[in-house]
Amino acid sequence: MAPWQDLFLALPLPEIWLRILLFTTFGLHLIFVLLMLGTAMLGFVYFLHDCCSGNKVEMGWNQRMVKSHLALKSLAVVLGVGPLLIIQVVYSLGFFTATGLQAFTWLSVIPLLILAFLAIELFEHKMLSRPWLPFISGAIGLGALLTVPAIFTGALSLMERPGEWTGFAAKTLAPGSIYLPHWLFRYLHVLGAAIVFGAAFHLFFTAGQDTAKRARLRAWMFGGILFQVAVGVPLLFTVADVFNWPVLTAVTLGSAAAMAVAWTLRPAQVMTLTSASIRGGRALLLLLPVIFVSMLAARQLLQDSTLMPLHKQARTALARESADLDRFKKPALETFRVKLATVYDNGATIYEKSCQPCHGAGGLGDGPAARRLLVRAEDLAAVRADREYVRQVVLRGWAGSGMPYFTVFDKDKIDSLLDQLGSAFNLFGPTTVPRREVGEQARELWKNTCATCHGATGRPTPFGLTLRPAPPDLSRFSLQPERSFQIITEGYPGTVMQPYRDLPEGTRRDLVAISSNLRR
Amino acid sequence: MIFPLLHVPALGDGMTIALNAVVHVLISHGVAIGMTTIIVLFQNLGATGHGAFWEETARTLLKPVVIVTTSVGAVTGVGIWFITGILAPEGIGSLIHLFFWPWFIEWWAFTTEVIILLIYYFLWDRLARRRPRLLMALGWGYVAVALSSAVLISGILGFMLTPDGWPQGGTFTQAYFNPTFVPQFMLRISAGIALGALLILGWTGWRFKGTANERGRVLRLTGLVMLLAMASTAVFAWVYFSRVPQTYLTHWKFAVATSVWSQVPNLLPVLNTVAVACLVLAAMAGLLKRRKTGVILFLPALILAVGMVAEFERVREFVRGPYLLPGYMYANQTRMVRQEAASRQDRPLLPSLDWVNATTDNAPAARAGRALFDVNCGVCHTIGGINDITVRLRGRTLESVNAITSITESMVPFMTPFNGSEQERLTMSTYLYSLANKDTLPRPQLQGEVK
Repeated sequence: MAPWQDLFLALPLPEIWLRILLFTTFGLHLIFVLLMLGTAMLGFVYFLHDCCSGNKVEMGWNQRMVKSHLALKSLAVVLGVGPLLIIQVVYSLGFFTATGLQAFTWLSVIPLLILAFLAIELFEHKMLSRPWLPFISGAIGLGALLTVPAIFTGALSLMERPGEWTGFAAKTLAPGSIYLPHWLFRYLHVLGAAIVFGAAFHLFFTAGQDTAKRARLRAWMFGGILFQVAVGVPLLFTVADVFNWPVLTAVTLGSAAAMAVAWTLRPAQVMTLTSASIRGGRALLLLLPVIFVSMLAARQLLQDSTLMPLHKQARTALARESADLDRFKKPALETFRVKLATVYDNGATIYEKSCQPCHGAGGLGDGPAARRLLVRAEDLAAVRADREYVRQVVLRGWAGSGMPYFTVFDKDKIDSLLDQLGSAFNLFGPTTVPRREVGEQARELWKNTCATCHGATGRPTPFGLTLRPAPPDLSRFSLQPERSFQIITEGYPGTVMQPYRDLPEGTRRDLVAISSNLRR
Repeated sequence: MIFPLLHVPALGDGMTIALNAVVHVLISHGVAIGMTTIIVLFQNLGATGHGAFWEETARTLLKPVVIVTTSVGAVTGVGIWFITGILAPEGIGSLIHLFFWPWFIEWWAFTTEVIILLIYYFLWDRLARRRPRLLMALGWGYVAVALSSAVLISGILGFMLTPDGWPQGGTFTQAYFNPTFVPQFMLRISAGIALGALLILGWTGWRFKGTANERGRVLRLTGLVMLLAMASTAVFAWVYFSRVPQTYLTHWKFAVATSVWSQVPNLLPVLNTVAVACLVLAAMAGLLKRRKTGVILFLPALILAVGMVAEFERVREFVRGPYLLPGYMYANQTRMVRQEAASRQDRPLLPSLDWVNATTDNAPAARAGRALFDVNCGVCHTIGGINDITVRLRGRTLESVNAITSITESMVPFMTPFNGSEQERLTMSTYLYSLANKDTLPRPQLQGEVK
């Protein structure tokens, strides 16, 4: 495989082999699914029957029959992984789209199966005890179990109808849409097949020499075949628009075999059944696989006829896009190399990566990302503040400004970032207090105007705290005199701190001295 | 993105996968590998004449093991696939294309494993009487296949954190036989056996039906197995983590403790030490045949063990940060080349989306903003749930949201960069800003003065 090729273009096998593999593995999966469903359905029906008639001996046999569910369902689940794997490679677009559009329904398969399997285990375990517990667990288990094929056939039916995807997504299936009737008949067809194959399985493996049970199971098979014909005919009509000769051949072969099975099972013979071997057993063993394989082939051929051209198209589009993006692979690899070499475990790196984009390399608040901020990033080099106060700012951000919060870094990292801020900008150094005598006018101004927000001691007043952004706590946070002077003169853009350039320079310098004296 | 994209509301994508995956890991490692290996060991002891109670114990334990493994373990295993297929089709699809054969072989290992387990379970009574040696062989056959299944999957899991030279070289062997391949499967197997032993210790203390002497022997052996497995777990965990690049590993505390708790120093090291100590004590109680101590310690030990499993999986998944396939695809399923193209040529993203969720917003700009959020951020952030984006952006001004979205990858080391044009980024930022400031009433500015 060439490096950096789009992985969706890399097929593990030629497409034709993947399709053959899909057919085989799906067949393996489906046979156990049918046996599992058939066993659960027949087991529950027999349970109800024997429960009403109070037949304990028969119930023991039912329990043996349902016991096989554990093995059948285990194999059905594990064998399902193979086709799931292959369909995601060969029909990735159709599969991911159809399941994605039915996402939550599709995901409900997991809890439903767990519930069904555990409930049916309980059903089997408690079958000989008081009837209400096996009845409830059996009903819940079977109900959950039978929902799953409805979800699967729903997804597959949608997958095979790309024309319906948009309508389905918008929840506006056209009234004439064939999707819903197709889904219904397809689902019923799966249940019918489960009855036929499940009954056949128990006819050969569980019934033993018991002629009455054989007769019962044969009757179920016979009824199942008739049901399949009744459901199969309308089902064929729902796929009439994509019908082709190979499909027709497979369906004809399957139907002929089904007719032969029906003939073998015809009720007249059941009445006269006496021999130890199963009448027509060999014919059944030969014909049932023929039905299974040919019907499955018909299904696969129908699916391929729609999805193959669609996928060819999708792959071509992907190949074109991939070729176009190919020239970016060098820079992408370089980005990755730099990422791997950058370890966010020290203050210098964290400052450079997380703070510098806004605060700039020199801490002047002139980083490229800060260019369009209404409240400019603070000039860190001019800040003198308490370490714990700065920690709170880093951990909480500054509401109303662009300063985000950085709890994404654990305490050790925050500490090392604070160390870095301390050493690079002397951020926690003592406040520089200008040496000057403060005039009375400035004191009055501070008390009457500035303290409205900043508070007399520098701790913001309740009113000040309603501002966005609120003023800093000047008893713990200060700025170098030149920066303070600049703010008092020009205001703090983006905040309610207005310019006071009208005041005489001396007063402004006095105010700087007052504010510098607030931090202890 | 040609597939429909879904994010789980409230719970978030990550938590959904995690809930399913942790259950699966506990069962596949602790029960399917751990408990079964010890059951096979017990059966061997019984079959080789060390006392019939070994076999009876094994037989009693096997039934729940088979039911739990096939009903919950197998389904949650497939469940991981179902969920990732829905939440990250591009990601899981890429992985499947790259690792088709290991997965295909693992599928057969998985199938063989289940078949042997079923034979072992259904034929136990018959074989135990007539052909105990065959039953022994079947048991070890199961263990071998179960272990191989863990080995096969480890290459893929390891790749997702330590892809070695694959991004540059692009060969399968580089991807699959990566530096954490061996330590990871050894770690998983050892931890699985330790967990299985713990479960059997709990059961033996509580439900064992036999003489006190027999119970003591079962406790002693299981305690010994647990101690050895834990020692092995510790060694391979150390090797494993020493091979994870520091870039990733440095985030482990945040990965586990998240925002608030990661500010508490030494919380995690202390918790982990307590957990290990509790597990060692539980194993020692078994080794010293202290039944009551063992029963008392069992529940806390089990809870802490589950916590450590969850912690390991969380760290492994989280620390690889912005990447789903390192060097190839970001966590939000954006291929790295596609992102480079977007940032260098200002390529828009919306025209390449085949599916857009049209159910949440009506205004075209809001719909676009939501789609861009879903594609870029939705894999980790929810709206109104876990890792809520409206909480993350609360207090930020509009232009600062737009500034933040331009530097995500640099600002937060495990965040993905924005994929799309500058105009689209502004659209998304505006949408997110309006979400974060929805229904926020201005606070009273002056109290009690204006009438």
